[in-house]
Amino acid sequence: MNLVETKDLTKYYGKERGIIDVNLNIKEGEIFGFIGPNGAGKSTTIRTLLTLIYPTSGSATIFGKDIIKYAPEIKEEIGYLPSEVFYYEKMRVIELLRYSASFYKRDKKETEKRIKELAELLNLELNKKVEDLSYGNKKKVGIIQGLLHRPKLIILDEPTGGLDPLMQKTFFNLVRQENKNGATVLFSSHILGEVQKLCDRVAIIKEGKIIKVEKVSTIIEHNYKRIKIETSDKIDSKYFAIDGISDYKAENKTISFLFKGNINVLTKKIVGLNLTNLWVEEPDLEEIFLHYYEKD
Amino acid sequence: MNIYRHELKSFAKSTIIWTCSLTVMIVLYLLLFPAFTKDIAVTRKLFSALPKAARAALDLDLDTFFSLLGFYSYLLNFVVLAGAIQAMNIGAGIISKEYRFKTADFLLSKPVTRTKVMTQKLLAALTLILATDVVFISSALAWAKIMIEEPFSAKIFLMLSAILVFVQLIFLVLGALFATVFSRIKSVVSVTLPTVFALFIVDMIGSILDAKNYRYFTPFKYFDSQYIMKHAAYEWRFIILEVVVIACCIAASYIIYLKKDIASVT
Repeated sequence: MNLVETKDLTKYYGKERGIIDVNLNIKEGEIFGFIGPNGAGKSTTIRTLLTLIYPTSGSATIFGKDIIKYAPEIKEEIGYLPSEVFYYEKMRVIELLRYSASFYKRDKKETEKRIKELAELLNLELNKKVEDLSYGNKKKVGIIQGLLHRPKLIILDEPTGGLDPLMQKTFFNLVRQENKNGATVLFSSHILGEVQKLCDRVAIIKEGKIIKVEKVSTIIEHNYKRIKIETSDKIDSKYFAIDGISDYKAENKTISFLFKGNINVLTKKIVGLNLTNLWVEEPDLEEIFLHYYEKD
Repeated sequence: MNIYRHELKSFAKSTIIWTCSLTVMIVLYLLLFPAFTKDIAVTRKLFSALPKAARAALDLDLDTFFSLLGFYSYLLNFVVLAGAIQAMNIGAGIISKEYRFKTADFLLSKPVTRTKVMTQKLLAALTLILATDVVFISSALAWAKIMIEEPFSAKIFLMLSAILVFVQLIFLVLGALFATVFSRIKSVVSVTLPTVFALFIVDMIGSILDAKNYRYFTPFKYFDSQYIMKHAAYEWRFIILEVVVIACCIAASYIIYLKKDIASVT
């Protein structure tokens, strides 16, 4: 079942492009990555799903319900952590979290227990005032308010900024745990390593359009190889004019490129060369990603 | 009603300060009443020396000034001016705070409709204003009863006092509407003070020039204290105007708020 489904979702801010014809299907139980540079439309998509902004055209459903018509009902089961968190400065952390909890139809005792647990896990003091918190600690408040009601869909928009590496690890474990317990996760980021670590599938967005949706494992393991070749003679730059080559770099007698396609085509080409060395590596998502974003 | 309770709490302190200030103000001013009326002839002569325009600007009516109700209605002008600022501050503040402090994302990603958010916020603002008014008016009445020996009509006293409520309600919804339309306002008083004073100046200039129909353009003149004292009634057309203005502001606020995109904080 698709937990989130968008159909030609489009948003313009006046004349300015937000997103264009975004079609996404997020399956129940998966951790879905959403990746693209700043300004590509990740937040716009997420904010539309949360009806913080309204689409110019197209539609979307979450839990099979129209996002606009059933907004409050849907949000009952959503936990949202934005990239930058702001809370009522004069409140104490515990008051803020209780206020947040008061919006959800949940057992009070259960929620209170959950707040305490999460605060302990993340090492957050509950009696401090929000205005006295460091940015990282505010982020922790954000994590707790997003998870305290055990949502079925967790939406994380560039969530790791401000968290130190150790806390990031704790946070990722927490997200994985929630996912194991049945929560679906939409994880947006411009940092590929994060997505690679956490996600099952990933949608790549560029200039408001989804350019690819693929399994993270597929992208990494099957399709792309980073090839580096060292030869005794200089290679003609047109020698590797075959399909599937990108990011071609030549330096003296060494060339390197990303290859996607039938590996036999490539090996046949390589046979004709006098090699002194050969590297075949799994590229990381970063390299693939950069390739996608290369200007033609 | 969690938002309602939350807003009451967050505006409690400022409302208490406003209420105390207004109440202390009227208590102190009423103390002056015996001094003004002790020697009516002298005071009257003093005020008569003022140019007519100045008297008009101050809303000074020498025929009624020396009665408690007349004196009170005169003082009330200043209370209403301050009350208008308070009301517009609350109205604009309660809506714009989510934008100013960038908490709109937090609030509106919760399972609550925007209608409910607006309703609870307006109700909270209304409660705060009414609380101020109840404390202010009952203190003023009690103090007048204790202080002033001369008998006066409590009914008229209350009818005059209600001007404060009526004017505050208008400025409350004006503030709310303004904050809904211009969500990017940085500071509330930078909006409320100019608005309130502009309308107050319209009132003053209108009085000085004795202009025709200017009363429709400033809420400060919807309720004429002289008329109330004379007829023990409000003017119907202004009651209707009041209701229409409030209804329009509220309706517009809802319509705009429901459709509006929440600007991203980044």
